[in-house]
Amino acid sequence: MVFNSYIFILFFGMVLLLHNLPFSWKVKKINLLLASYIFYAAWNPPFILLLWLSTVVDYFVGRALYTQTNVHKKRFLLVISLLGNLGMLCFFKYGAFLLDNFVHLVNALGVAYHPAKPNIILPAGISFYTFTTLCYTIDMYRKESKPVQSLLDFSLFVTFFPHLVAGPIVRPPQLVPQFQSPRRATKQQLLEGLFLLSLGLFMKVTLADSMLAASANMVFGASGPLPSLDAWMGTLAFAGQIFLDFAGYSTCAIGVALCLGFVLPLNFRWPYGAIGFSDFWRRWHITLSSWLRDYLYIPLGGNRKGQTRTYVNLMLTMLLGGLWHGANWTFVAWGGLHGLYLWVEKLLTDRKKITPMLVVPTATGDGIPENTPVMAKLARSAKPFLGGLPYVLLTFLLVNITWVFFRSATFSGAGHMLSSMFGFVQDGRPLLTTLAMIKITVILLALIILHWRLRDIQLTDIIYRLPWWALGSLWACMLILLILSQESTSTFIYFQF
Amino acid sequence: MKPITKAAILMAILVVVFIAGWEFYLRSSGVTISYDEGKELWTAQRARVYTSPAMATVFIGSSRIKFDLDIDTWQKLTGRKAIQLAMEGNSPVPILEDLAADPRFAGKLVIDVTEPVFFSADDAPVRHEQKENISYYRNRTPAQRASFLLDCALESQLVFLDKEGLSLNAQLDELPIPNRPNVFMPPIFPLDFARVTFDRQDKMSPRFLADSSLQRRVQNIWVFMKKAGMAYMSQHPVDPAPAIMQRVIAAVGKIKSRGGEIVFVRPPASGPMEIGEERGFPRTKYWEPLLAATQCKGIHFADDPATAQLICPEWSHLSPSDAKVYTRALIRLLPESFAH
Repeated sequence: MVFNSYIFILFFGMVLLLHNLPFSWKVKKINLLLASYIFYAAWNPPFILLLWLSTVVDYFVGRALYTQTNVHKKRFLLVISLLGNLGMLCFFKYGAFLLDNFVHLVNALGVAYHPAKPNIILPAGISFYTFTTLCYTIDMYRKESKPVQSLLDFSLFVTFFPHLVAGPIVRPPQLVPQFQSPRRATKQQLLEGLFLLSLGLFMKVTLADSMLAASANMVFGASGPLPSLDAWMGTLAFAGQIFLDFAGYSTCAIGVALCLGFVLPLNFRWPYGAIGFSDFWRRWHITLSSWLRDYLYIPLGGNRKGQTRTYVNLMLTMLLGGLWHGANWTFVAWGGLHGLYLWVEKLLTDRKKITPMLVVPTATGDGIPENTPVMAKLARSAKPFLGGLPYVLLTFLLVNITWVFFRSATFSGAGHMLSSMFGFVQDGRPLLTTLAMIKITVILLALIILHWRLRDIQLTDIIYRLPWWALGSLWACMLILLILSQESTSTFIYFQF
Repeated sequence: MKPITKAAILMAILVVVFIAGWEFYLRSSGVTISYDEGKELWTAQRARVYTSPAMATVFIGSSRIKFDLDIDTWQKLTGRKAIQLAMEGNSPVPILEDLAADPRFAGKLVIDVTEPVFFSADDAPVRHEQKENISYYRNRTPAQRASFLLDCALESQLVFLDKEGLSLNAQLDELPIPNRPNVFMPPIFPLDFARVTFDRQDKMSPRFLADSSLQRRVQNIWVFMKKAGMAYMSQHPVDPAPAIMQRVIAAVGKIKSRGGEIVFVRPPASGPMEIGEERGFPRTKYWEPLLAATQCKGIHFADDPATAQLICPEWSHLSPSDAKVYTRALIRLLPESFAH
């Protein structure tokens, strides 16, 4: 089930009603769990079995890991859990990719091996719920938090429908305590939640799907060379689409949870207002970048094992982060390019000796390794030129280059697009209408200005800074445009990850 | 009262007033209900093809059969359902192949042959949405099925829910903004040209039939599309028809081998469209070899006095009243097993 469908509105209305009826807290949790299973099964019922398997295995293995004192047995249990979770992920998400690469390798070695193409359907959200359960297992192994006391609470933690299929990726301490005592949204929380749900749907349906998706698809689907203007416009359209689609989903998820009285972690904080790449990753898909920091970068040694290892660890984290997004080398290249940007940024930081690389949580406990980016330093220097806008634009420009690899299905496609963008091809046929380019320009300009001006402000704070009539009018405009868009039931881009 | 509560009340009032006002304005302007002609509606029909052949006939093709077959007339006179799977601007060949590949389908099939679309190559400048529809039919989720039911319930009551004609993008597309040279701008049909019923029949509105300027606008679109087709053909001199013919022969053979029955129909065209199609796709080179190769019956509009004299207001499709005449004639001309 997707948030942008009529059936979800009906479903959510019923869940909200049930959650506010005078049932016991346990009955309400069972209702939420059943609703979450229905939410997931409405996509493909058989895959609910995978979710159950993952939940039951991790619940019992997690408890055993916490109480086990024998180091060897503990490691054995950890390996079982990792194999179970990552094995499922590898089979469903990377099975075809691994086989394809294996075939290429043996063919290159002269062995004629041509197996049938596997027809594996990717279960929705498997990357997200696998990371959710993995962090529980690892926390239990490290004894960083206490085991969840009931299977009901653990199942709800894994399956809670607002975050289940596309995040935010939650950690046990963020959500499990909220299931331990009765919760019901206050009137203010309910209205705040509904506002966030409206905003998220507006971002996804009106802006991403209705205004930008067609242009991005047309440009990235073009078979021939393109004029530079069209190539840039298509890339900008995708930059807007991917943000509005994914941040729209996260905003919906946070809003839906809030309507039920639960608080989910923030996943985006004005990422196109970032100054530098460390800053970008503290603002983009925050729950994934902090997951990668805590469960990959730091265990690899982080910045504690010298300069060279720090660079290697940084790159490995970004490459695997890229691969998490999809079974294609273009995603790895996307991650690698971000890793490269982080390297350059760190190199500049180290040369200027602005500050050593430290792992310091940000104010909200999110973000990848804190290395006080050089550009952020420059932007904060005596008199920031135009409030740091040139650095924001430079970062945004470089991020756009990475989106080319993210969006292109092949390296040759990415190469063609980059060649067109930088004017290395001639005689490209113009594709985009003037109206399409106006839409892209207006939306992207508005996004960049908003992200730049609001980069230090929480979204929910804005709700309370606006006069009520302005907030009401803004809310009404979003809903009217959402209704007029008449785009429904298209899936979110991150579902495929 | 807290500011957010006041904001929510204001929002609710503004939204209700705007939507009610927009709906009232459209209704008072004579706009009628039209369903979204998307993959969801198509899929709902595709799922019905397993109805007993004694109870239903399946129609595939492009827009002509959607306008020209009056489903009410068909159902009243034959007592059978008409399952409309034709797609505007799309060749029916991929749909035919999908039905042929489906071992459960062994019904009665009527195929509209509009030659410029029927014999178009896979990369020709016509619409290519068949694969998307077929894929959606095969993979639709329980949530999508349920959403479709709710969607239809709303679309049946609210005029403004018309994605193709009244959505935000459709409204913006009407803005007279010039494009750069060589940018292909898909043609925009007038809202009144096609109002879509739940069973996927297209009907011209009374305003369209009364307004010759709207008819000219559509005629200009046909001229534009003909030019696009000619430009494509000048760059692609290889005729795709022989390869398409082989695909059709194979698909027809499969359906017939399961006991299915197939009839080809050539719906009416008028004026320059009729002349241009006969010049570009002569009967002796396309229509007749198609019937001979597939060993199927064919019903060409020019062969029957009742259908030969029908006039298409915009050269290509029949008015709702003439669709009734054409449907009655079609029932008379079809083999007895189809219509009686």
